[in-house]
Amino acid sequence: MSVQSAATCRSSGRRVANLALTSALVGLLCILGLPSLTAQARADQDASPRCGTCHAGVVNSFRTAPMRHAMEPDGANPLLSAHPDLTVTLGAYTYTVQTRNGHSTYSVTDGTETLTLPIHWIFGQHTQTWVLEKDGHFFESLVSYFPRENTLATTPGDQQITPHTLEEAMGRRLPVWESRACFDCHATGVGEKLVTSKITPGLGCEHCHDGSNQHMADAARDNFKTLPPSLKHLDAEQISNFCGKCHRTFDTVMRNRWHGPAFVRFQPYRLALSKCFVGNDPRISCTACHNPHQSLNQSAAFYDSKCLVCHSNTNAQSAAHNVKSCPIAKSNCASCHMPKVELPGGHARFTDHYIRVSKPGESYPE
Amino acid sequence: MALPVLVNSPSRCLFSFALAAALLSLPAISTAQSAEFSDLAARAAAARDQQNLPLAIDLYTQAEQLNPSWQEGWWYLGILQYTSNQYAGAIDAFSHLLQLVPTAVPAMALRGLCEYETADYENALRDLDQAVAHGAANEPRNEQIIRFHLALLLSHASRFEDALVQYTALAKLKAEAPDLFVAIGLAGMRSNSFPADVASSDREFYQGVGHAGYVFLSGDDEQADQLFSHLFAQYPDRAGIHFCYGYLLFPHDPAMAGDQFQRELAVKPTSETQALLALTLIYEGRFSDALPPAQLAYNSDPNLHIAQVALGRALAETGDISHGADLLNKAIERDPKDLEAHLGLASIYSHTGNREEEARERTICRDLSK
Repeated sequence: MSVQSAATCRSSGRRVANLALTSALVGLLCILGLPSLTAQARADQDASPRCGTCHAGVVNSFRTAPMRHAMEPDGANPLLSAHPDLTVTLGAYTYTVQTRNGHSTYSVTDGTETLTLPIHWIFGQHTQTWVLEKDGHFFESLVSYFPRENTLATTPGDQQITPHTLEEAMGRRLPVWESRACFDCHATGVGEKLVTSKITPGLGCEHCHDGSNQHMADAARDNFKTLPPSLKHLDAEQISNFCGKCHRTFDTVMRNRWHGPAFVRFQPYRLALSKCFVGNDPRISCTACHNPHQSLNQSAAFYDSKCLVCHSNTNAQSAAHNVKSCPIAKSNCASCHMPKVELPGGHARFTDHYIRVSKPGESYPE
Repeated sequence: MALPVLVNSPSRCLFSFALAAALLSLPAISTAQSAEFSDLAARAAAARDQQNLPLAIDLYTQAEQLNPSWQEGWWYLGILQYTSNQYAGAIDAFSHLLQLVPTAVPAMALRGLCEYETADYENALRDLDQAVAHGAANEPRNEQIIRFHLALLLSHASRFEDALVQYTALAKLKAEAPDLFVAIGLAGMRSNSFPADVASSDREFYQGVGHAGYVFLSGDDEQADQLFSHLFAQYPDRAGIHFCYGYLLFPHDPAMAGDQFQRELAVKPTSETQALLALTLIYEGRFSDALPPAQLAYNSDPNLHIAQVALGRALAETGDISHGADLLNKAIERDPKDLEAHLGLASIYSHTGNREEEARERTICRDLSK
């Protein structure tokens, strides 16, 4: 599973019951290594405490975590720089994403007229969708970049759109709430009203640790009483709800009546369907397998060890609770019990977090 | 595109023809047994073709007296009387047809429209509701008139949420008419009046609310926001406008909806608005924040279903699982299909480690969300 895919994190159901984090403007102090910072800003930062001043380990590891890169700023995208000329023709329109001198543009032409817009908001680190701005409105690009095939293709969820104008071909106009929801999950500092000049691309500390800016400010004055609320006491159900504010909860999917494999990417919802999921068991929480402050662990053995905490013949607790061990294998658990599902339209696959005994050829279980 | 008016309009003729075409799929009619019947049927068809409606109605009536199982005769008798504003006769004719062919959805829809005209609103709602459920609105030429009247009836029955579903469909069709805006305004303001009953002094207000609602439902959220802002400035003390906007926003953005409900509470606190505010906070996962408005709503109206659900969920998620589960179970007793209550129970069973009950509730939720 990866959280870096903007195209797969977006809500194709259009109705996003999403959290509006009421955080204040996130302090740049939280965010390390922003390339756009001026020398003076850097000097100012260096003179002030940052999250990393006290929490160096976690801040350092978070630099490479997928959520930190949920949105990439303009001019800092190695993927687009490595593929400076991307093009695809879909129906009557030809799309081009061109990168020169660290800046990317998105063009669409019908052969007669051409619409070109700068790419300022890159959603996703690998699979990318771009949010474009035109005449004061936000648009989701109608094509996205898919690294598996190194190609541009229709943005997931937009396959049913038949553009009639160049602007419609350029992208899907986002309602106010949807653009706010998109930015709120991919950037920090959105607040109740989206003002792009005030946001920081990607997730900073304040995004999840509400109050960390205040904590830093107070800590600079040796006041350590205003700590952000601890997340350590959350049970598995609460962690699912917390992560599900962006990754979507069971409740959200049910309320919006989302069905089908397009929603396999909403992991907390899928996990809740699993027979082994129960809210008071920390061994099945999101954070039992995923450390949000670290890069995604790609080792099958690592995840096997998580499964075997419960599903092991040698585990007395498992025996006591009548938890079955796998009669087939003791490794690569996820390959059978968490099969990968191709998203509609192709181009990307997601690990289904509905943990189950999956049989070859079975249809996608709702 | 204008909505068809009710009396003798070209749109209405189109509507009738469309239904007639749809009825061709009905089972074959019975063969006339007598020469007299054949003669009457032929003369009735000729009179109908010549637009001699009184004669055609008379001849079809005589023919049906000879052969009451003649489906086509009942259909045309109903259509012709509907077109002639003879609604009681049309209802009788369509009822005969529906006895012979209970699946004649166009006849059900037309009978509903006739019942609306005779102020038999209960039966009109039943017929139009069923007709739409069985696809009567799938025929583009009929969709607007059927959905509009169904929406009016739903609103009259205080089923405002269901009415807004119909108005949403009309807005997507770009249907426009002064009465449509007033009607949407009435539903949005939760008034069960018909547009014709609105006092002239109030008409501009409902028209304004309805226009803003229509623009919102048609998908232009930014223009709708401007229109609602204008209404807030124009009618700062009028209760219901923030509620209306909040209600429209609710499925899309609970946070924005919650802001509107807060502002509505400043104008006129009601238990329903408190409960909806609590629900928006629950949707955002802010269970502690949801507790006070949920408690206020429940205290002022313990029988209000959404107050029960909101308080039950808020209590359960903030530690009072027993009381929360009790309220949610009571809500389910009242409405076994309440998704929100089942979501709350699933969460409770998850927190408490009751796997079987949790799985059962999640299965119910999945079924309800289909």
